[in-house]
Amino acid sequence: MIVLENVGKTYHTRTGIVKALRDINLSIEKGRFLVVCGPSGSGKTTLLMIVAAMLRPTNGVVSIEQRNLYKMSVHERARLRADNIGFIFQMFHLIPYLNVIENVVLAGGAAGKSKNAAYAEGLLSQLGLTERAFHKPAQLSAGEKQRVAIARAMFNRPKIILADEPTGNLDPDNAAAALGYLSEFHRIGGTVILATHELQAHKFADEVIYLRDGAIQAH
Amino acid sequence: MMTLGLIFKEIRHRKVNFLLSTLAVVTAVALFISFFAAAGASERETARLMLSMGFNVHILSKGADINEFLLTGLADRTMPEDYLHKLASQQAVSYNHLLASLQKKILWRGLEAILTGLAPEICPPGGKKSPISYQIEPGSLYVGYRIAQALGLKNGDIVEIEGKSLKVARCLSESGGVDDIRLQCHLRDAQDILKLPGQVSEIRAVDCLCFAPAGDPVSVLRKEIESLLPDVQVFHTQNIASARAQTRQMVRSMFAVIMPLVVIACGVWTGVLAMINVRDRHEEIGIMRALGYGSGRIMSLFLGKAAVIGVLGGAVGFLAGTVLAAKFGPDVFKITAQAVIKPQPSLLAVSVVFAPLFVAVASFIPTTIAVTYDPAVTLREE
Repeated sequence: MIVLENVGKTYHTRTGIVKALRDINLSIEKGRFLVVCGPSGSGKTTLLMIVAAMLRPTNGVVSIEQRNLYKMSVHERARLRADNIGFIFQMFHLIPYLNVIENVVLAGGAAGKSKNAAYAEGLLSQLGLTERAFHKPAQLSAGEKQRVAIARAMFNRPKIILADEPTGNLDPDNAAAALGYLSEFHRIGGTVILATHELQAHKFADEVIYLRDGAIQAH
Repeated sequence: MMTLGLIFKEIRHRKVNFLLSTLAVVTAVALFISFFAAAGASERETARLMLSMGFNVHILSKGADINEFLLTGLADRTMPEDYLHKLASQQAVSYNHLLASLQKKILWRGLEAILTGLAPEICPPGGKKSPISYQIEPGSLYVGYRIAQALGLKNGDIVEIEGKSLKVARCLSESGGVDDIRLQCHLRDAQDILKLPGQVSEIRAVDCLCFAPAGDPVSVLRKEIESLLPDVQVFHTQNIASARAQTRQMVRSMFAVIMPLVVIACGVWTGVLAMINVRDRHEEIGIMRALGYGSGRIMSLFLGKAAVIGVLGGAVGFLAGTVLAAKFGPDVFKITAQAVIKPQPSLLAVSVVFAPLFVAVASFIPTTIAVTYDPAVTLREE
C-alpha cells in the first residue's frame, strides 16, 4: 500500500516560491490503477517523483508497505526503486547508444538481474518488438520507443509502475496500445499510477483524482 | 550490463568528445615525454658545450706559491703523480676529466718556452667521458704556433730537448695565448727532460653537473679532494663554474615553468570536455538514477571512461613524444644527438599509470556534478 499523508512540495525559483503540491492525502491499495489528471503545472509529475522516492517532499510522510521513504538512505531508496518501481515517461528516456534489448536489460543492472536477457526477449516479444531488438532508439518510431520504455519498466518485475504522460507523444493507436499494456500489468496484480491528460485512460482506472494548483480537487 | 560495456558503447556513440579528450592527454604526455628527453639532452648538451670552456678545477701542491701560479700559470712545487690515480679511483665524486701535467719554463734553441708534459686524461669509475684535452703519444711533441714559426718546424721533424729526442707530431695553429709558446709532450717525456720522475706540478679537473643548486661547489670540492690528499690546495675558476651552473639552472627553470603550464592547460582542456560530456549525458544519468543505479555506479562510468582515455592517451602520447624527440632532437642538440633519440621504455609505464590519474583528477569536478545530479530535476525538465 502506498500512503501519502499531508504531503506538500514547495520549489524556490528565481521568480519566487511555487507550491507544487499542497497537503496531499492519498492511499493507494496494492493492485490498484490510479489515474492522476490535471492541467500542465498542476503537480502531477511532482507527485509521481515523490512516490518514486526521488523527490523529498517539503512536508508530510510518504510510505510504501509501511516504510517511510524519506527516512531511508539515498542508497536504500535507490534499491527500493530498482526492486519495486518501474518508470515510463512521456519522452521515453532511452539510452541512445544502447540497442533495444540493452536498454531493457539496463534496468536489471541496478537490481542485480543484468544477465536475464531471455526474459527481456520475452518481454519484447509480448510487446511486438522482437524484430527491433538490435535497433538503436534513433531507428525506432515513437510508439516503438514507448513500448521499449514499457518493457524496461517491467523488466525487474516491479510491484508498481509510475507512468508520466506515457501517451503524450503517441498517436491514438499507439496510445491505446500503451494503455493496454499498463492495463495488462494491472490485471496481473500490479499497481499503476498514471499521470495523463488522456480521457480514454479513465476506462482502465480503479480511481481517478484531479489535481489543480497542487491540490486534489476531486476523487 | 557491465560497466566496461557501457563505457565502450558510450565512447563509440560520442566519438568526437572521446577523441578530443584523448588528444588532450596525448598532447600533455607527448610534450612531457619530449620535454623530458629535451631536458636531459639539454643538460648533456650544456655540459658538452661548457666543457669547451676548459678545466675549472686546479689542484696544486700545498707548498706551491699561489701568487706565482696566478701570475704565470705555473706551479713552483711538484707533487707525486700517484695523487692522480688516487683521485681517479674514487667513486661518486664531484669532479671529472682528471688531467695531470708537469710544466716548467725552459729556454730552448734561444727561445723561452713552456714545456708541458700531459698524462692521458682519466675519469673516476662510472664517469667515463670523451677526453677534452690532447692525448699525446710518448715520443711525440706538439709545438706551439710562435715556436714552430720561429724555428721553421714542421710535422715529422725530429727534435731534441735536453738530450731527449722527440718527433714533431703537430704544429699547432695560432691561439693568441700562452699555448703559442708551449711545447707539449707526454708526461713521461717531460719527467725525463726535467729530471722529475713520478712528479706532476698540477692536476686539472672539471666539476660535475651534480651539485645541488643551493650548494657551494667550491667547499664541496675542497672537502672531497682535501680529505683524500691533505697536502694539496684546490682552486676553482669561478667564472667558468658559474657559467656552467647558471646555464644548467636556466635550462632547468625553463622546463620547470613550461611543463606545469602545459599540464595545467591540458588538464583544463580535459576537464572542460568532461563537463560537456556530463551535460550531454544528464538525461542518461537521470534515467539511470531513476532505475535505481547508485552514485558509485554512475561515478564508475565517468572514472572508467577517464581511465580508458588516460591509458590510451598515455600510450599514444609516449609514442608521439618519443617520435618528436627523435625527429627534432638531433636538430636542436647537435652534439649529443645520438643520446637524444634513445627511447626510454620506463617512461611508457609512467605514462600509462599517471595519465589515467591525470584525467581522473581533471574530470573530478564534472564527475562529482554527474553523481549529484538530481534525477527528479532532470526528468521533470521534459
